[in-house]
Formats: sequence, structure tokens, C-alpha cells
Amino acid sequence: MPTIAGLARASILIVIAALAFQSVGAQNGHPDESSTVGTPDAAKVIKAAADAMGMPRNGAEGGGALPQIDVINRMQFWGSGTSSSSGQTYKTDYHVSASYNPPAMRVEITRADGATPQHTFQVVRDNYAWDESELGGGLVPGKGTATPSMTAIKTRLLQLWILPYGVVKAAIAADDKTKVSAENGFTVITFPLSGELAGVTEKATLDSKNFITKVETKADNPSLKDLDLEVDYSDYADHGEVQTDVLSPHHVVEKRGGKTVLDIEIKMWNADNPYVVFPVPASVKKPS
Amino acid sequence: MMRCACSKMAVAAVGALCFLSSAVLSQGIRVPAKGELVTITAPPKPTGETPRTPDGHPDLTGLWNGMSDNLDTIANQIYNDGISIEGPHLTHDINDGAKIATWPVSRVSKQNDEQYNRAGTLMRRVGSSLPIYKPQYWEMVQDLDTNANDEDPTNGCLTAGVPREGMPSYIVQDPTHIFMLYPGQGHLFATQTSYRMISLDKRKHTPLEDLDGSDDGESIAHWDGDTLVLDTWGFNATSWFGSVGGYFHSDNMHVIERFQRDGNILTWTATVDDPDVLLEPWTMTPRVALLNPDPHAVLPKQLACSDRSLGHYGTKEHH
Repeated sequence: MPTIAGLARASILIVIAALAFQSVGAQNGHPDESSTVGTPDAAKVIKAAADAMGMPRNGAEGGGALPQIDVINRMQFWGSGTSSSSGQTYKTDYHVSASYNPPAMRVEITRADGATPQHTFQVVRDNYAWDESELGGGLVPGKGTATPSMTAIKTRLLQLWILPYGVVKAAIAADDKTKVSAENGFTVITFPLSGELAGVTEKATLDSKNFITKVETKADNPSLKDLDLEVDYSDYADHGEVQTDVLSPHHVVEKRGGKTVLDIEIKMWNADNPYVVFPVPASVKKPS
Repeated sequence: MMRCACSKMAVAAVGALCFLSSAVLSQGIRVPAKGELVTITAPPKPTGETPRTPDGHPDLTGLWNGMSDNLDTIANQIYNDGISIEGPHLTHDINDGAKIATWPVSRVSKQNDEQYNRAGTLMRRVGSSLPIYKPQYWEMVQDLDTNANDEDPTNGCLTAGVPREGMPSYIVQDPTHIFMLYPGQGHLFATQTSYRMISLDKRKHTPLEDLDGSDDGESIAHWDGDTLVLDTWGFNATSWFGSVGGYFHSDNMHVIERFQRDGNILTWTATVDDPDVLLEPWTMTPRVALLNPDPHAVLPKQLACSDRSLGHYGTKEHH
């Protein structure tokens, strides 16, 4: 016959087990049901994804007393692999400089196959997109040119917001429009993008360690199907030249219409807010 | 080897400000009790009258280290990293007002020195205000910053120079001159102590070609209403002009500093123009210093500077 003390011990064990189960669920970011970022479950999931990558930090010795803030603003990464366009696949070196404030990205692509290697600089900042003939082309007289490419604004900006850090930032920005749910045992965050990318919905899938492993985008308007993408991220680690405890993926695979358009392995990913700038050339601001 | 004040720089960057809260500051300056939870790093509201000299200008005289009278551990100025933490859920980029995601203090596991250094590296660079160099120098700035523990000229006991030395800890103003003292220890950087003596007699600059370049350059002063404006040129090309970032300059740099006093608050901004290396002038985010309310407070004694070896830190760059 159970004693009162035994029942009390059993009750305590049940409560501890329940709390532990709840805690594991929260750590894995699995909400009980669909919820928005304004709810505790969704906020926990977003925070867990941010924590997994090392985004929320504070500079107080010992870690106390100050709030944590999102310390990711600027980054650079270098990778190599293949890229495809018009049915052809190229060996590719890929170098990205990115900034979230202001929203901007410069993608330097070197395609080595063929008689003449292609080397391009594709830039976007806010509502401007342009191509540089060399790094910073068109900013200093006699140092290269900048050619406006305004039709590319949406596709280039989208590249910023499908990066794992962009997913967290955009999910937070979407506030109560961000929904969190469970799909096939994985936690999924869904939210609309805004500004130039209004009408595009983004979906991110988290693994059991809360890393963002898949990002899918879908445009409401069929004429914007170029914005329908699927990106896989894997093998997160600190790939920085300067160690920051910010984790980034080692392998990136981007697909459009089910076909791989980019497959790169990361050599270095500097997420230490490096010096990267995106001044808009005068010829782009006021094309002649 | 002297332990580098960089280990305190995240404190200087943000941590020093955790000793203040709006509630605390509205009642005057005090260091909070141990364990007191403080989350605000936004500049405080000024209190008190702004004293004036007989000629009617604001009197900037004072010991501007009101954050604490212990300069060995507390930076003398609200150095903001370009961000303002205004509450447990609210942080803004000072440059453009953009909101930065903020999570309140909770049961954060304690950081070891390495984690703390790495977090400091990130926080000190998160702001959006950057000088715009000419493209041919972009990679150079990145390299200097990445390898700042080796490359930073202040590591070899050179003075930080204008404007990197920031705000003076002590100002004396008389009708003809203004004196500014920058104690290295306990200041933003553990660098050489330096001073400036600037005439208020409306003199003109010495022609640039007649000046030997220096870290502090040649400063002249004038009043623009209630704002003291220091105009400086005649630099060498040795110092850096930003607290982090590898921001080198040429000997053609020209700096305009503005000091504004409002009661017990002194606000400082600096604009750097260097047409040899920058595409456009750059204005740093303002800094704020507080008047020390203790009439008996003095500056700490000067400590000897020694070359700093930073190889034992968790990052290659300043944190």
C-alpha cells in the first residue's frame, strides 16, 4: 500500500518529468499547435532558431544584466561549387557581402568554365539594383562602371532574406503574421515578406537543434515565379576567420522550379559585422 | 604585460552603461547596487543649469567622468556603438532609428572570457554608421580590422589621436584657451594619456604644408552659438579615427568636433573628412559624458603604458 510519503515522491517525479518534457519541447522549438510570433510558443521558436545560430548576445561580462540583442548586421562569405543557368552548369566561385541595415547585398560570381571566365558583381541596396564592372565600379571617376539593373531588385533582395539570419529577422519583423506549426515532425515558421517583396511568403523548416535547414519562398502573383525558391542549408559551424560563435551553414543548395541553380560549399563565413558598404553610384540613382 | 583594457571594452561599449538607468539618472548619478538589474543604455536626460562664462558662452569646465569616480574600471563617456538599448524589448540603431531585435534579461548562462570577447566583437560593430571609403581601400579596412590586435597603432603606446580619443575627461576653459585632458587608463582605451591646449583667439590654421603631422593635429576653435567647434588638421597618417574598424586615414584628414553642454550633460560629435581615402565626410554617432557630481573627485594617477600583446584573446580583432 502506498504511503503518503511515497505518493508525494511519485507526484514530485511526475511533475519533474512533465516539466522536463515541456522544457525539451521548448528547446526543440516544437509548439503544441500553430501559433503566431506574438504568442509565447512562436516567440520561443524564433528565439530558439536565433540562439542556435548565435544571433542574440549581450556584451556584459558574465552575461547578465543587459538584454540580448540581435548582433548580426553585416557579413561576408565565400564558397565554391556549381551554378546553372539556361540549362548549362558552371564551376563557380561565389562571394557574398551582405547587410541587413541597410538591406543590401553584393554577389561576386566567377564562372570558370568556357574559354572566357565570367566575372560579375551584382548589387542591390534598398530600391536600387545595379551591376558593377569591378568592385565598387562607378563610384570613383575612371574606376569602372555601374549599370542599373532595376528589374533585378526583387530577386536580389530575396537572396538576403532567404539566408538563415534573414529568416529570423523577417519572421520577427512580420510580428503576428508569423505562424509556427509542426509538419512531419519538424517545426516550420511561415511569414510574409514586406516592402519590395510584399506578396512573397517564406517558409523555414527547423531541425531538432533549431537550425534552419530548408527555406522555401512562394509568390502570390504567378508572374513573379522567379521568386519561388527552395534552399537547403546544412552542417552549421563557426566558419569565421574571426571566431564569433555565430554558426553558419557549410553547404548551400538553391533550387528554382525543382532544378538546382546553385550548389556551393562554404570556405569562410565572416559574420562579425565586417566592413562591407554599398554606396549607390550617382549613375544608378539618376540614370541618364 | 599590462592587461589590455580591451577586456573591458565591451563594458566601455555597452557594459559601462549598464550602471545607469533612466530612473537612476533622473535622480542624479550613482552606481547601482550589486546585482541591481539595469537594462537601459540610452543617454540620460540632463539636469541642472548650464553655467556660463562672463562673455556669455557655456562653460565647459569640469570633470566629465560622472559615470563613476573610479576611472580605472569605468569609461568616462557613454560610448554607444551606434546603438541605443532603451529597454528590455527595445533597441534602436542611432544612425537611422532602425529597430534591433531585443530579448529581455533572463536566465542567461554566464559567459566565459572567450564568449564575452566574441560577443563584444559583434556588438561593437553592429551599428549601421560606417565611413564610406573609396572602393580600392575596402579590403584594406577589412584586413586592418580583422587583424587589429596586431595592426592597431595604439597597441604600441601611441596616442589614440583626434578624434579616436573621444571626449576629454577633464576640461578647463578660460577666456583665451580651452584645455582638454584625456587620461589613457580608465578612458575608452588603455592608451597614452594626452592633452590639448586650444586657443580661443579666433586665429587661423597654420598652412598644412608648414605643419609636422601628429596624432592630434592642429586645432583651432570658435563658438557657433552655444556650440564649441574645434577644427583640426595637420595629422600624420599613423593613427586610426574610429574606435574599432581599422579606420585608417591620410595626412589630409580634416576633423570638425562639436561640444554642446546642457546642464550636467556634454555631447560630442566628430565629422571626419579625408578626400584622399573617403568618398564623403563621415559623422560619428554622438557621445555623451556626465559631469562628476563629487566636488572632491580627481583623475586617477597615470599608469605607465606598455606594449600590449593581445594574442591571448578570443578574437583577432578588438572586442
